[in-house]
Amino acid sequence: MSDTIERWFAANGWRAFDFQREVWDAYRAGESGLIHSATGTGKTLAAFLGPVAEAIAEGAEKAAPLRLLWITPMRALAGDTAQSLERALAGTGLAWTVGLRTGDTAAAERARQARKLPSVLVTTPESLSLMLSQAEARDRLAALRAVIVDEWHELLGNKRGVQVELALARLRRWNPALRTWGLSATLGNLDEALERLLAGSPGRVVRGISDKPVVIDTLIPADVERFPWAGHLGLVMLPDVIQALDASRSSLVFTNTRSQAETWYQAILEARPDWAGLVALHHGSLDAEVRRWVEQGLKEGRLKAVVATSSLDLGVDFSPVERVLQIGSPKGVARLLQRAGRSGHAPGQVSRVTCVPSHALEFVEAAAARRAAQAGRIESRRPVERPLDLLAQHLVTIAVGEGFVAAELRAEVRSTRAFRDLDESEWRWAMDFVTRGGESLKAYPEYRRVEEVDGWHVVRDAALARRHRMSVGTIVSDASIDVRYLNGRRLGHVEESFIAWLSPGDAFVFAGHVLELIRVENMTALVRPAKPGAASVPRWQGGRSPLSSEVADSIRELLEAHLEGRAREPEMRAVARLLALQQRWSRIPRRHELLVEQCESREGHHIFCYPFEGRHVHVGLSALLAWRLSRTRAASFSMAFNDYGFELLSRERFELLPLLRAGLLSPANLLDDVLASLNAAELSKRQFREIARVAGLVFQGYPGQPKSAKQVQATSGLLYEVFARWDAGNPLLAQAEREVLERELEFSRLAAAVGRIASSPVVLRQTAKPTPFAFPLMVARLREKLTSEKLADRVRRMQLDFDRAAEEAADDGVQAELFP
Amino acid sequence: MTDCIVAGERLVLLPERAAWWPARRAIFVADFHLGKAASFRRAGIPLPGGTTADNIERLEAVIDRSGAGHLVFLGDFLHSAQGRAPATLERFRRWRAARAALSITLVRGNHDDRAGDPPEEWGIRCVNPGAAMAPFALVHEPAPVRGGYALAGHIHPAVRLSEPGGQSLRLPCFWFGARVGVLPSFGAFTGSAVVRPRAGDQVFVVADGEVIEKKGSDPFS
Repeated sequence: MSDTIERWFAANGWRAFDFQREVWDAYRAGESGLIHSATGTGKTLAAFLGPVAEAIAEGAEKAAPLRLLWITPMRALAGDTAQSLERALAGTGLAWTVGLRTGDTAAAERARQARKLPSVLVTTPESLSLMLSQAEARDRLAALRAVIVDEWHELLGNKRGVQVELALARLRRWNPALRTWGLSATLGNLDEALERLLAGSPGRVVRGISDKPVVIDTLIPADVERFPWAGHLGLVMLPDVIQALDASRSSLVFTNTRSQAETWYQAILEARPDWAGLVALHHGSLDAEVRRWVEQGLKEGRLKAVVATSSLDLGVDFSPVERVLQIGSPKGVARLLQRAGRSGHAPGQVSRVTCVPSHALEFVEAAAARRAAQAGRIESRRPVERPLDLLAQHLVTIAVGEGFVAAELRAEVRSTRAFRDLDESEWRWAMDFVTRGGESLKAYPEYRRVEEVDGWHVVRDAALARRHRMSVGTIVSDASIDVRYLNGRRLGHVEESFIAWLSPGDAFVFAGHVLELIRVENMTALVRPAKPGAASVPRWQGGRSPLSSEVADSIRELLEAHLEGRAREPEMRAVARLLALQQRWSRIPRRHELLVEQCESREGHHIFCYPFEGRHVHVGLSALLAWRLSRTRAASFSMAFNDYGFELLSRERFELLPLLRAGLLSPANLLDDVLASLNAAELSKRQFREIARVAGLVFQGYPGQPKSAKQVQATSGLLYEVFARWDAGNPLLAQAEREVLERELEFSRLAAAVGRIASSPVVLRQTAKPTPFAFPLMVARLREKLTSEKLADRVRRMQLDFDRAAEEAADDGVQAELFP
Repeated sequence: MTDCIVAGERLVLLPERAAWWPARRAIFVADFHLGKAASFRRAGIPLPGGTTADNIERLEAVIDRSGAGHLVFLGDFLHSAQGRAPATLERFRRWRAARAALSITLVRGNHDDRAGDPPEEWGIRCVNPGAAMAPFALVHEPAPVRGGYALAGHIHPAVRLSEPGGQSLRLPCFWFGARVGVLPSFGAFTGSAVVRPRAGDQVFVVADGEVIEKKGSDPFS
């Protein structure tokens, strides 16, 4: 290690960690690799000081142009990253410069970079692709020694990761000695993460500090008896949360949805008006200015608490944060650990995350997540295979830049792991798609995009090139609508689909205010403060992430342990009464059992099924079951699903036992049956939105665009219909179906679940009334049908009924019977 | 085929998304958008072929079946100036040449304003919105017209029907209000917008080759 770096560490009283030295040595030896550990444990310096030491050793005195690219998934993080890199440079005395290049970078800075690039450029995957779309890209990027990919786990599981793979393949072709280092949170599939990053070249996985203690606990209310059995707001825990916040200097309160964050922020302020100005809200829709203010306040320790969504999952260290609260289900082990890691950065402190259940079964989830975390069962992120939409985009990106020779680019693309199995016909299709506008047999003389000039593929039309540059990337967002007061003050932005759902006069909660929608014009929602007492329209957010396999499996295991009296977790004691009722009225399934309940009500005949496999799998399973049932006898069903199971409600009663024996849940014909049952075309059509955007079929437009641009805008749904009818063999349609299967339905997980069910006993119970496990499903189904007010009333009434029945049961001595 | 009475006249609503007025042997077609796919291709967006052929085949089917003597385009006949691709125009020209006896009127719509009138030799009479064909006033953008019942297009109306089980279907529709009636878009490559008819409006959805009256006070819940 260079003396100057040693001196800098010594001057600050730091000692280099072993893993940091390991990375520095490996870097000097020309190696690449992946560093994983929790946030705030020195990964940045581990990755950065290798290149710095090398430059010092080479005696670089002047600010050398572009030696290192630092890729970060969030542009909001780029500024903080650049600052910490600059501090390291100042400390070591290396005369390198650091620059930023993201979607937020001002034109003046871009112009400066066009004259001379900084030694270190902090950028995003999208901005890197944009650099590749410049004619002089090769010259400007040729002197690169290394690429650091920060938060690689965030990119790995989506198309942005593939975008990075493609860019790296190009950089490596220009400089085969290029070193690549990834920084990642701990994952279940680190080897695969490394293989993807290095395109299969050898490299090492370096584990950062691993013994940083993490405490995972749960807030358990004093009156656990009256804890709601369903719901998602969980405000019943408010007093306990207030108490917890009071006890810490600075806390982060994470929620799973934006509406949940808004609700909690309001509730905390109502409970503690004296905290006004000390409690803040942070989510992706708020104005960037507001978010920066909040982040700064956290860093400076000015804020008592911040209520946040995943918008604060990533990024810079907030050293003053002492404690993290997780409202509602933790969903996954990796996410819970990541969130825990946002606290306890001060020396000697532990990271602490406290789960705040919003309904009773979330006590079990919290305990299950802790068990899985302690056992090191961390989720994997499955990389994307051969996304042809992105391939089409990449071909145009390179054609817009220096252009390409087909055979060379094909070899380069196939050198990535994502496209290793790209076959000749897929490549041919992608080339036809961008050069001819479709199958080579058909001629579309009016089509123009990528042209071939002497074997060199280029985009010659400047307008097309400009439009492509504006569309680079794979992040698809709803059109965003500004939210403003009548006086013009901007509050933030929301998705168009949310506003489309409101009518003028409706009230909604946003940015901590209850607002009344006045009207929508020119992509702006004009609002005013709502009249006091206005009932707000809650937002039931779609796209909730499901319970991970790891947590789900841990729940099944924990329930079995509970049955056998082996579960000593305080959370399990908190739900003992509910579980006792479940066991008495029906059954608590053992780890490898599937519990199915049937009961009658005024509504009809209910089938409840509890695979504990996460919401996505249950959507698929419920559709499969309904479809297979309706083939035995015509019937229609209402359905509901949650992370624990699903419900089918029908007029008629089905005798399930013989049907189950005859293979109702058998794995035979699984894929075909699932596709047939789910109206797969409709789902694929929705998925096509992203594909159409990435492949350049849909252009999102930009402010001040000419009118004529509107004439070539179509919705992805319409495009899907046109392709499905007139070009049914288009591989983009097949890709949509594949993506729906994997992302929306988690088909591999569903198949594994069906396999598990096939080899394990199914327990069928006829119950007199819906059980505690069934209750949240019934509420979920009602939620779809009713307005929130009516729903709240009905839920309260249902819970009263349950409580009464439970009291009767308790009088029977149920508790004693189960827990002697 | 479904009959309805609009402004005292009998109109026959066709599943090809056109309306037939027997009394005047006229066919109304809104939002044909000829050349739309071609204008996408011109802009580098690869769209499959087939939409123009489909449009012309359906047009032919309704003309032949009804024996119409007069075809009225209620605006947006041509999609855009960029869409005037030679192959596309030639296709329509040939079709037109084969039925020279048919008189064709185009009420200019917002797209036609930018795309320009069709070639003169096609013999299509181009008029501005508001032209009378009593009791109807022919327009493109739906708005009440003094002295006539406005027949319009432009918004590509559709309604959403919910099925038990939470799935919903979006279907193009004919929508007749008190003073304005809107036809569904005819073009194969045209989208639709969900509309909210008022009580008393007549709404007919096009589904599976049939035109069905949508009854019930609240089809949108």
